[in-house]
Amino acid sequence: MKVRLHDIQVRFGPVQALGGISLDLEPGQVAVLVGPNGAGKSTLMGVLLGLVRADCGEVVVDGRPHPRGLPLSEREKLGYLPEAVGFADNLTGRQVMRFFASARGLSRARADVVLSRVGLSQAAGRAVRGYSRGMRQRLGLGVAILSDPALLVLDEPTGGLDQEGLELLWEILAEWRSADRTVLVSTHDLALIERRADHLCVLREGRLRAQGSPEALRRQVGLPVTVRVELADDAAVAGLLSELRASGLCRVQVEHRPEHRLRTLCLELAPDALLDALRIVDRSAAQVRHLRVEEPGLDDVYERLIREVA
Amino acid sequence: MLGRVGRALVVHELLERTRDRWVLIVTALFVLLAGGISLYGRSAADAQGAVTAPSIVTLATFLVPLVALVLGHDAIVGERERNTLGLLLSLPVRRGEVLLAKYLGRALALCLSVGGGLGIAALVLEPGHRAALLSLVPPTLLLGAAFLSIGTAISALTRHRATAASLAVVLWFLMVFFYDLGILAALVATDGALGQDTVAWLVTLNPAGLYRSGMLVHLLGAPALADMGLTVALPGAGLSAFLWAAWILLPLGIGALALHRRQAVTG
Repeated sequence: MKVRLHDIQVRFGPVQALGGISLDLEPGQVAVLVGPNGAGKSTLMGVLLGLVRADCGEVVVDGRPHPRGLPLSEREKLGYLPEAVGFADNLTGRQVMRFFASARGLSRARADVVLSRVGLSQAAGRAVRGYSRGMRQRLGLGVAILSDPALLVLDEPTGGLDQEGLELLWEILAEWRSADRTVLVSTHDLALIERRADHLCVLREGRLRAQGSPEALRRQVGLPVTVRVELADDAAVAGLLSELRASGLCRVQVEHRPEHRLRTLCLELAPDALLDALRIVDRSAAQVRHLRVEEPGLDDVYERLIREVA
Repeated sequence: MLGRVGRALVVHELLERTRDRWVLIVTALFVLLAGGISLYGRSAADAQGAVTAPSIVTLATFLVPLVALVLGHDAIVGERERNTLGLLLSLPVRRGEVLLAKYLGRALALCLSVGGGLGIAALVLEPGHRAALLSLVPPTLLLGAAFLSIGTAISALTRHRATAASLAVVLWFLMVFFYDLGILAALVATDGALGQDTVAWLVTLNPAGLYRSGMLVHLLGAPALADMGLTVALPGAGLSAFLWAAWILLPLGIGALALHRRQAVTG
């Protein structure tokens, strides 16, 4: 399912919640909405799902425009996990799942299969009131994937999930991506989802501040790459050091560890200067014991983007 | 009238409500008191059944609206508070159908509650008096349906469950306890200048008054109204039916409108 959100504007009274946001959701991609609390992530998802009426703009699904969000027919293909979902706490997990299965025209057996998939088979007969936050989140995840939807919308899906729950979430994201389905995730915890995102949309105060692949955003921000070079402490180090400084490619700091007869050079340089700097290290007579390139994390990129617009 | 999602929601609501602690408590109270009144009527040799059924009417006037308001007050706001309203509305279903399905599911739970209370009371009574008591079932369900509709509207108009619960309790006191007192106060304040027709109208404009006065006339005949100080006739069957329909449909319509107009997510 190819979805385009075009010039979405939403106003809650005097507050401009979304100010003309446009973005494309492509099949086979995990798109991640990222931004601080109140940035408008849930509202944007609400517009897509038809839960929030946009004052302006439209949702275009496979080329067909829908000014009021996904129409009923398209919602058959939708799976949605709201943020911090609760469910009726006097019902069992199985009863909850069976209700949503029945509402989607699916069998009870399918509900049981999904309960097993999200690791709740053992707890399925227990009332939801006895579930931990992570278990409720798993139940919500199960409800979202129940009908194998072509469009999966997950609002803060990592909340409350333990390591095992996170693994399940990563599996689901990978499965949806490989099946060429569309996924939209919102999060404020970018570090967790960094390796699973294909397309990032950075929101702040209802505006889209940046979007693109993680690599493109890294390039756009141009945060420095750090290279740590551990060298045998001999005369050649001085030569390398002076050559690096003379090249003007990077800032260099030196750590001396005489007890191990090592010196560590810490090079901070622009991403496009990395190869040149490595060539200088390679050419020199210094004995490299260990070399590590540290790229900035997506959360560093995000923080820079947010700081830039603040 | 209801699609696949709506039908599933009716069953889900019935299941959920029959496990709700407060619904069970108020229902148990109704069943116990109705059974107790019947038992008392039987032991007091109420040969004509002239005490038991009217007493049950009075009990139902107080408790059935409470059961209905407890059932209805969190229909929408409860979903909103546990973040499942968006999930529900993201299903292929119209908002009006969600409200209707919730109402119908809860109305079925109300039937069980009213059926339980009146059923136990009927079982305890002498077999010869059961018919009179069982004739109360449809009007009592109408009374419950009206207050359930009011509760459902409250649930769609409020943002917090606590607000909805408070509003439901206040409304119950106002409509069930203080309404008649208010009419009395108006009579005293106007030194009886308020006409009988006006008083009759005021009584029947409240669903609790409409039920009680209608049932007392049904069970005891027109003199029962004279005992209440009313010397005029109550509205006819047509007008009563209209008033009941208005009390059921109007709040539901307001609730549906509120659900339609409000944003389901504001984060």
